[in-house]
Formats: sequence, C-alpha cells, structure tokens
Amino acid sequence: MARAAAPRTFRDAKAAYQTNGELAWWVFMRVSGFLLVFLTFGHLWANNIAFNAGEIDFDYVASRFAQPSVRVFNSFLLLFAMLHGMNGLRYSIEDYVKRPGRRLAWKVTLYTVAGIVFVLGIMALWTFTLSEMGDAVRALNP
Amino acid sequence: MYRGREGQWAFVLHRLSGVALALFLLLHVVDISLVMWGPDGPFNAFLAFYHQWPFRVGLIVVIAGVVYHALNGLRIIIMDFTSWGVRYQSQMWYGVLGLTTLIGIPVLWKIVPEILGIA
Repeated sequence: MARAAAPRTFRDAKAAYQTNGELAWWVFMRVSGFLLVFLTFGHLWANNIAFNAGEIDFDYVASRFAQPSVRVFNSFLLLFAMLHGMNGLRYSIEDYVKRPGRRLAWKVTLYTVAGIVFVLGIMALWTFTLSEMGDAVRALNP
Repeated sequence: MYRGREGQWAFVLHRLSGVALALFLLLHVVDISLVMWGPDGPFNAFLAFYHQWPFRVGLIVVIAGVVYHALNGLRIIIMDFTSWGVRYQSQMWYGVLGLTTLIGIPVLWKIVPEILGIA
C-alpha cells in the first residue's frame, strides 16, 4: 500500500491509517523519538564531548560496559533506536519501492539484518566477551 | 506547506538524515560488537581505522544529523499534538536550523582541535 502524505494530527492519523497497527507505529515514532532525543544526546555527550572519540579503544569500551547503568542505558538506546530507525527505513521502502516483489525482498532483507544486528548489540552489552560468555555457559553445566 | 517551501525542505532533510542515521546505527552496533572478541580481537585495529580524519569528520556530520533529526522531530511532535503547531511550522523550522547551528559551534570547538591533533 502506497502511503498518502504523512498525516499531520492524531485525528488525521486515525483517519488515514486503516489498521490499528499503522496507527500504533505512528504513535510509537513520536513517543520513541521524544525519548531518543535524551538517549542520543546523553550518548553523544558521554562519548564525543566528555571524552575524545578519537581515543576510544577496547579498554574504554570495557570500562563503560562494566557499569550496569551504562548497560541499561545503552539497552534502551539500542532498543528504541533500532525500532525507530528500522520503522523509518520501512517507511522509506514503502515510499520508494513500488513493485510488490522488490518491496517484499527489501523488507525481508531489512528485518533479517536488523534482527541480527540487534542480537549482536545486546550480546556485546550484556556478555561483553565471548570467552566470558563461554565461561558463563560452562558454569551452568559443571 | 509543500511545493518547495520550508515544510518540504524540512521533510527532505528529515528523511535524508533519518535514512543515513539508521544505516550508521547498523554499522555502529556491528563495529562496537567486535569487543566480544576480546582485547586481542579485531576491535582495536578497527577503531584505529575509524580514527583516521575522514571518518572523524564523518562523525561530525553524523552528530549534525542527530541534532537536526532530533530537533525537527520535536517540531513534528509539536505540529501533531498542539493546535498551533502547524501554523508556526515554518518559523519552528528556522528555529530548528538556528538551534542546530548554535549547538554545532561548541561541538566543533571541542572536536576539530582533536582531529587536528592540537587538543
């Protein structure tokens, strides 16, 4: 379905979208967008302003990911940024890819890549090193 | 609102910055995930590659994209959820551009000397 011009008010959005799903995404883009203003600005402040981004290395990331607050903050940032960004790419695909077969192929590719990247990001945040993860798994099976 | 007026430029920049940021996000999560391979893994070599000046200039463009997309997103939220937002959308867009520039100045002040190696 080609989307009409983006609806400009909540009432427009309700009238424009035939499904509750699309209306929910419309609301989600605004709610997550608002939250992401604070999450991304905080992230940029910590890693580009309070620190010289040109000096980021393994030890720096290790010291940050060792802090539970950073893990939680980054998990929310990752979750909202991925959902917001991937839904934005979906809008773009629907706007510019008109042929149904190609549109499906683009979307399948997008969702596959996004899923893999999200899992990678969560793994990096919460397990940190594969050797640590291996130790954790071995600890479960003595 | 459209036909080459402010609203259309606001949309074009929002779409362009949004697509660029989404693609950057995918790349960024993957490269930071390389920490999983440990201190002797590919992470440090990869980061050293990204610390070359063209990529650091690119990072400034990414930051500018984030600031514009965030502020224009707030403009969209105001347009959608207030009775007066659409009436002042073009003025708010100039506000977005002005505020993006204003935030950009201290950011450049911090980062450009780092790139030039005189920080």
